[in-house]
Amino acid sequence: MAVRLSRRKITEYIADSLVAGASEKDIVTSLAAYLIDSRRTSEIELIIRDLDYQLSVRGIVLANVSSAYTLSEETKKAIIAMLKDATGATSIELEEHVTPAVLGGVRIDIPGSQIDGTIARRLNLLTTNNTL
Amino acid sequence: MIHSLTQLAAADTQSGSVFTVLGIDWQMLVLQIIAFLLLVAILGKWVYPWLMKSVDERQENIDAAVNAAAEAQKSASDGEARIQALLDEARAEAADIVATAKDESTAAISAAELKAKKRAEQIVMDAKDDIAKEIVTAKKALHDETLQLVALATGKVVGKVMDSKLDDSIIRETVKDAKI
Repeated sequence: MAVRLSRRKITEYIADSLVAGASEKDIVTSLAAYLIDSRRTSEIELIIRDLDYQLSVRGIVLANVSSAYTLSEETKKAIIAMLKDATGATSIELEEHVTPAVLGGVRIDIPGSQIDGTIARRLNLLTTNNTL
Repeated sequence: MIHSLTQLAAADTQSGSVFTVLGIDWQMLVLQIIAFLLLVAILGKWVYPWLMKSVDERQENIDAAVNAAAEAQKSASDGEARIQALLDEARAEAADIVATAKDESTAAISAAELKAKKRAEQIVMDAKDDIAKEIVTAKKALHDETLQLVALATGKVVGKVMDSKLDDSIIRETVKDAKI
């Protein structure tokens, strides 16, 4: 059985490898093998979240963007510029999700923070806190 | 009577002895007197003392009985007096108890009335508070329901009028004002 490593150690190693230009496929294969061998597959969600954080520390921010419609290129550029300005990151990776339930606007999830400017949230605030 | 006197007078004149006339034998009389005196002496020596002693004892017994009866009567009188005193005391205590019970019952009734009055006032106040709370709750519920309806209607309207162009403009506004 493999030596048990902390999640922080694992994610630091993976983040360093990715920044150094290692093959993503090899890294994912190695991580999957390690988790299966050490019977820690249930921690995959936490490891991904920690990895997002480690990458953001190294200037690479992965942003999950949810909107009701597909974003235009101009809007994507505006979002990337805003995120670079706000986080100081050198690289922003957008992962788009089309979610009609948000009605309109956008929700941006980055490690440790969230920007929710959706109409669904505003309506939800209206019903719960009586404010917009 | 007259005949007897005449006989006595005649005897005195004929023989001269009264005892003979009367038929009394003076020797026999002397003997009888001696015997009587002897009898008196014997009785005085042996019978009378014993008899008197018995009489005295009897008298003492009677006196003791009389004294005992007097004592008993006195005791009975004392007992009757004590009983009367006890009865008087008991009557006084009973009167006190009745008076105290009346006072206590009056006080208890007053306290109960006061307590009932306070309780009634408290119930009325609680009811008023409950009604006020229910009114506030109902108002809040009505307000929330109104907001939900407004939000639902807004969502329906926005969902129908929204297009990608309008969405883009909203997103750019959001990005412009965004703060992390």
